Amino acid sequence: MAKISVEVCAGTHCVMMGSMNIIDAVHSLQELHTAHKPACEVEVVAIPCTLMCKHEEKEGPFVRVNGKLIEQAESEAVMAAIMDACIGGETA
Amino acid sequence: MRGIFTPITKIRRQVFTEVARYAFERDLDQTDFNHFYESSYRIIPGEVATYRDSVFKERAIIRERIRLAMGLPIRPSITHQPLTNGMQEAASADKHLQLPLANIIPFACVACPTDRFQVSDNCRKCLAHPCTSVCPVNAVSIGKNAAIIDQDKCIKCGRCKEACPYHAILRFGRPCAEACGARAIGSDELGRAQIDEDKCVSCGLCIVACPFAAIADKSEIFQLITALREGQTVFAAIAPSFVGQFGPLATPGKIVAGIKKLGIERVIEVGWGADVGSLHEAEEFLREVPNKKPFLGTSCCTSWAMLAHKTQPGLSDCIASTHTPMVASAQQIKQEHPDAKVVFIGPCVSKKVEALEEEVRPYVDYVITFEELMGLFAAKDIELSDMDEVELQSQASRDGRNYAVAGGVAQAVVNVIRELDPAREVQVMKADSLDDCRKMLALAKAGKADGCLLEGMACPGGCVGGPGTLSQIPRAGKAVNAFAGASPYETARDNDMQALTTAFKNTQK
Repeated sequence: MAKISVEVCAGTHCVMMGSMNIIDAVHSLQELHTAHKPACEVEVVAIPCTLMCKHEEKEGPFVRVNGKLIEQAESEAVMAAIMDACIGGETA
Repeated sequence: MRGIFTPITKIRRQVFTEVARYAFERDLDQTDFNHFYESSYRIIPGEVATYRDSVFKERAIIRERIRLAMGLPIRPSITHQPLTNGMQEAASADKHLQLPLANIIPFACVACPTDRFQVSDNCRKCLAHPCTSVCPVNAVSIGKNAAIIDQDKCIKCGRCKEACPYHAILRFGRPCAEACGARAIGSDELGRAQIDEDKCVSCGLCIVACPFAAIADKSEIFQLITALREGQTVFAAIAPSFVGQFGPLATPGKIVAGIKKLGIERVIEVGWGADVGSLHEAEEFLREVPNKKPFLGTSCCTSWAMLAHKTQPGLSDCIASTHTPMVASAQQIKQEHPDAKVVFIGPCVSKKVEALEEEVRPYVDYVITFEELMGLFAAKDIELSDMDEVELQSQASRDGRNYAVAGGVAQAVVNVIRELDPAREVQVMKADSLDDCRKMLALAKAGKADGCLLEGMACPGGCVGGPGTLSQIPRAGKAVNAFAGASPYETARDNDMQALTTAFKNTQK
């Protein structure tokens, strides 16, 4: 089974702007009906502040799905990226 | 929306952070409050509306939210009043908050219809149309394309909704009013939501239920930060639901370290005050039930206790006479350090109202929520995951820490009763929403709760489901259980008796 790594910033600003909810949303994918569940192993890791918000004038929450950065991440965008990566991984 | 991060959550937290930042940065002697006009542009930038029909309206709402965050009343819409009105007076370390706590910003309210049955696109205009047959007042007819409900005739019985095979009939309610277990929300002359202050018990659930961000409560962050900046000694009493609220990397020790970095002297667990409460309530139960009181209700949830006192004054005596864990903890702090200020940090907004009570005022100087505290961390750029762990300077028992979850309070009291009188059987009744609390009170009034211990909580899931939280309820519940399990003491009686006994004496009203 293909592996998908999801890194979610759990720094102060990102948590305040909803990164805990993103982690919960990623976990919630496992509760989907079997037919809709991503056929991949999704590994979610909370990471400390990346300092991107402080030095690069970017806005959080920051999430990386298989290394690809999502800025101002919202749960729907992250879930969609995982589902996409999962389908892409399978056909590849 | 509890548990889902929406644009409303974002706006609320941006306002807390903005107000906290200026409270930390302002010149204490020469503050220019016009700064807050700029704030509304920072939070709502550009010329294109993001959330509503107009960017000007969005900013106007932000400005009222800023006033509330400073503890000020919202301004009347019908006369001119500068945003900065009253700010100079509010910008001190003195308590400034006044009722009403929860405020509906009238022009943000979209006047949702109250309790209305509507036909949706699901209607197939079917041949059977049972919706018409079951209506007791002949309000449903079949129109050109779909069923039609005559709103003047409709008595809102819901029968048509039940009968429709396509689930095409929906009940349309007002989310704030449905969240209000005290049934305190009515309408003003323009059909907008209006809170009946006589009924409101300040649980704050309407604030997180309104999908148009029209309701907000007042805050004391500005006054707290001012006290810190003036160099006053401030102690924090933190509610047991704090664990897990600030992200997966923010361990309890790091949260305490972060609070201390804000300039707070010491952080005390309110779970310790919960232990005091458990001892007192167990003792009161054994002494009074059933001979003097038919049953005993727990007292730690302010909104539940207010609901009981307001709706069933005849049962008032049956709510335990114990001070809440917040007050017990604050009293202990003030006893040791009479000149210190005390801030209660919790998931709860009704504690803000409790702290206004004559008896409580001398002990609790400020009440802020976890969400507001997060605003302070963000304003000061405090990275909790970078902190070195700091130990809490008080220990609460497992049972005291479990006060944060529904069922935990009664369990803590029952455990003490069992230790004191192993022969005594205690029946427990529980409710963790104000709606259920009201039903429980009705049962109690009918004598159906005689001999019982009643645990009342306003928030679904208990304190971890409070309006001032950041974490989803299941995640928070797990964190609380783990933290409770790590306590060196199991029940309230196992806790340090010396300190408890001293506090115990001061806790009886």
